[in-house]
Amino acid sequence: MRATRAQSRSYSTVLKTMLLPAGYSVERWSYTLQRVTGVVVTLYFVLHVVETGNFIGGPGVWYVPSKDFAASYYEQVKELLHNPIFDAGLVIIGWMVAFHTINGLRLTLAHFGITLGKPTRVDPESPPRSFSNYQRAIFWASIALATFAAVYSVDALFGVLSG
Amino acid sequence: MKTVRFSVYRFDPSSDKKERYATYEVPYKTGMTVLDGLLYIKERLDHTLAIRYSCRMGICGSCGMTVNGLPRLACYTQVKEVGWSLKVEPLRNHPHVRDLVTNFDEFFKKHKSVKPWLVRTDSREQESPTSQYLQSDAELEKYIQFSYCISCGLCYSACPVVSSLPEFPGPQALALLYRYLADSRDQSRSERLKIVDEAVGIWRCHFAGSCSQVCPKGVDPALAIQLLRREMMRG
Amino acid sequence: MREKNVMLLHYLSGVGILIFGGIHLFTVFFTRPLGETVWETTLLFEGHQFAILEVYRNMLLASSLWFLLLFTTFHGLNGLRVILIELFPNRAVRSATRYVLLFLGFALMVYGTRTIVIAHMIR
Repeated sequence: MRATRAQSRSYSTVLKTMLLPAGYSVERWSYTLQRVTGVVVTLYFVLHVVETGNFIGGPGVWYVPSKDFAASYYEQVKELLHNPIFDAGLVIIGWMVAFHTINGLRLTLAHFGITLGKPTRVDPESPPRSFSNYQRAIFWASIALATFAAVYSVDALFGVLSG
Repeated sequence: MKTVRFSVYRFDPSSDKKERYATYEVPYKTGMTVLDGLLYIKERLDHTLAIRYSCRMGICGSCGMTVNGLPRLACYTQVKEVGWSLKVEPLRNHPHVRDLVTNFDEFFKKHKSVKPWLVRTDSREQESPTSQYLQSDAELEKYIQFSYCISCGLCYSACPVVSSLPEFPGPQALALLYRYLADSRDQSRSERLKIVDEAVGIWRCHFAGSCSQVCPKGVDPALAIQLLRREMMRG
Repeated sequence: MREKNVMLLHYLSGVGILIFGGIHLFTVFFTRPLGETVWETTLLFEGHQFAILEVYRNMLLASSLWFLLLFTTFHGLNGLRVILIELFPNRAVRSATRYVLLFLGFALMVYGTRTIVIAHMIR
């Protein structure tokens, strides 16, 4: 008889643990959101660097082009990128950047032991000291600020709020 | 009479190819724990059910299992606080032996790797002690919380990093490392700080906090790991 | 490099992104008059105080963009490395991802630096 069965480390289980932590606290959800937003923003960043290369006339330009050439190339690219679907994508990126920034600050503070409670004698009734009020407050602030950033980007990209 | 429905993970490697879930109806008694229900099943309904337990009072840390999706100690969990329909599975991230029993070899190996004991350099004093080691209240409170760990493996089972990266030391080992690092009697700070400073060491903790959420003893491993990171950053 | 120093750089680059990304977002988003979209004001080629060409011509803003590029490249690719370490515990895959990400980071830096330097010189 086999003594043990190594638990199968299937990628469906790993991804489910990473992305759908049902039943766990907000810290676990912040971990999931921080991962997802980080990956998406990095992909956006790569595309953004590629796309800003078009300010000066596309990937083939490794010399200083004339201003008129760069300007006409830029206008073409802008026409391509300036559409409602990409703008809606930018609104989501705005939410993600704001969330990742503030939540990342929270995690950095936590990793240096700041804003956490102090270890003390065990009190099973009280919540864990690492889930301190400061930490929870910064987490919810990151959600609130991200939502504000998304609303602001709707205004900045579509111009619906202020006319 | 009220009954509780137990849906229990069953797997016997000598006869089964695949796990299955067996359902049992257990009469409810006031104050019944999940372990009480499982023992009722083993005594009256199905003798083949394999479970591991010992003290029945949350001290030995043997009866960890996944109840309705979260790792819990079966003896420490009232049926009433979970619900009238229970899904009982073995702990995640530990290899399964049979039914609800899991193998802790890897877990204890990682525990041992952080040297969970006090290291002293004054060997002459150790052989013929001349005094006691006095600690102030403040020195005690730096580590006393983390010394309540009973090695039940619940935090290890809840940790999202262990599930994806099996070599990760896990919350229990890292918390215990901090417990001995923070102890004023310990004299091996620099060696301890080197143990987990690797690509698959402490830096893979992302403070998801699940370990502290499920700990039945209030140890708060997530706090210990963050404080350990601070110590490692200081060097 | 020791993992400790890599993660320290991860935190520092995060703070750096906060500063230089803040400047970047300020020039693009917060300088437009209320009621107009960024497409009509700051994302013009020129003709606004913070239009594309004006930003790159300004030495301070252009170098802040370069630091933003540097920090974001490191921070983003190191974040990907951390996730890939956890997803693929295999050692061979780990060292392969390291080289792939180093190459990707190098390529991003070269291409982005080209954009900033050339845009700075357009007259």
